[in-house]
Amino acid sequence: MSKHSALNTFGRSGNPAFTRNFDNTGTFSQSERMTLDGAVNKTAILLGLCFAGAFVGWNVPALTLPGLIIGTILAFVTIFRNPTKAGSTAPFYAAFEGIALGGITVYAEMQYPGIGIQAIGLTFGILASLLFCYKSGIIKPTENFRLMLFSATMGIMLLYLVSFIMSFFGSGIGFIHSNGLFGIGFSIFVVGIAALNLVLDFDFIEDGAEKGLPKYMEWYGAFSLMVTLVWLYIEILRLLMKLRSR
Amino acid sequence: MNSILFGILTIVSLFIFMNLGKIKASKKQMNRDDRIKWNSRRKPNIHENRDGSKIIEGSAEEISDKKKH
Repeated sequence: MSKHSALNTFGRSGNPAFTRNFDNTGTFSQSERMTLDGAVNKTAILLGLCFAGAFVGWNVPALTLPGLIIGTILAFVTIFRNPTKAGSTAPFYAAFEGIALGGITVYAEMQYPGIGIQAIGLTFGILASLLFCYKSGIIKPTENFRLMLFSATMGIMLLYLVSFIMSFFGSGIGFIHSNGLFGIGFSIFVVGIAALNLVLDFDFIEDGAEKGLPKYMEWYGAFSLMVTLVWLYIEILRLLMKLRSR
Repeated sequence: MNSILFGILTIVSLFIFMNLGKIKASKKQMNRDDRIKWNSRRKPNIHENRDGSKIIEGSAEEISDKKKH
């Protein structure tokens, strides 16, 4: 029995969004292969759908919670059930998440006018600057980089889950939501981790296009980027709300 | 004024993403030995012998009589 059998089975990172669907390299004609153009165009389509959904959510804030629940279910279906059908599920995911984000932004705008456009500007600003850093080779993602980011992301998700469960019993992890120095520091850390996840998405798309993966992986790459952008936007909005409330 | 500035930042960033995203990454980024292996979950092709020992395809080396001596 090889002492590296677990490593052989699961790889260095167990992140399902990145590792489950990369074993489909085969021989495809040029038109059936993943390209950078295709992945970027599909990301643009998903962003357009997200903005359209946000317009609905902005005008009908009551749809926020249903949008969030359906969007989350669609994300899990895309990752774990049938990634080959990402072209069908990802557009719906983007639209429903857009509805949820529209509703959340209305809630934030009521308290702090102008905060929505600031969060959108910062999110896309980070996207463009990190893309430049990645393409030019200033940031070089390695296996250790992926392992570190995966650990940090899972740690944050676990913390949020524990806080969510504790909230049912009238308790919670205070510093996550506080506007004190520790709370703001935590938010900056989470924004940093969410932003660095974009680098992994860029590398995933670049590598997939280089290896000539099947066409549906364009949708999957665009979907991965969309998931990270939604998370980054929410975290930036939370950070700005904490800063404005001081 | 604040909203206009952030609006411009959004449009410029999207423009950069749409154009820069379609360009291949630099050689400095692509030609590295420590790049992430996204298909690292692929299992090696392992066959088990009757005695329980394992042979990894492509790793086995034929030993000729000349090599033995």
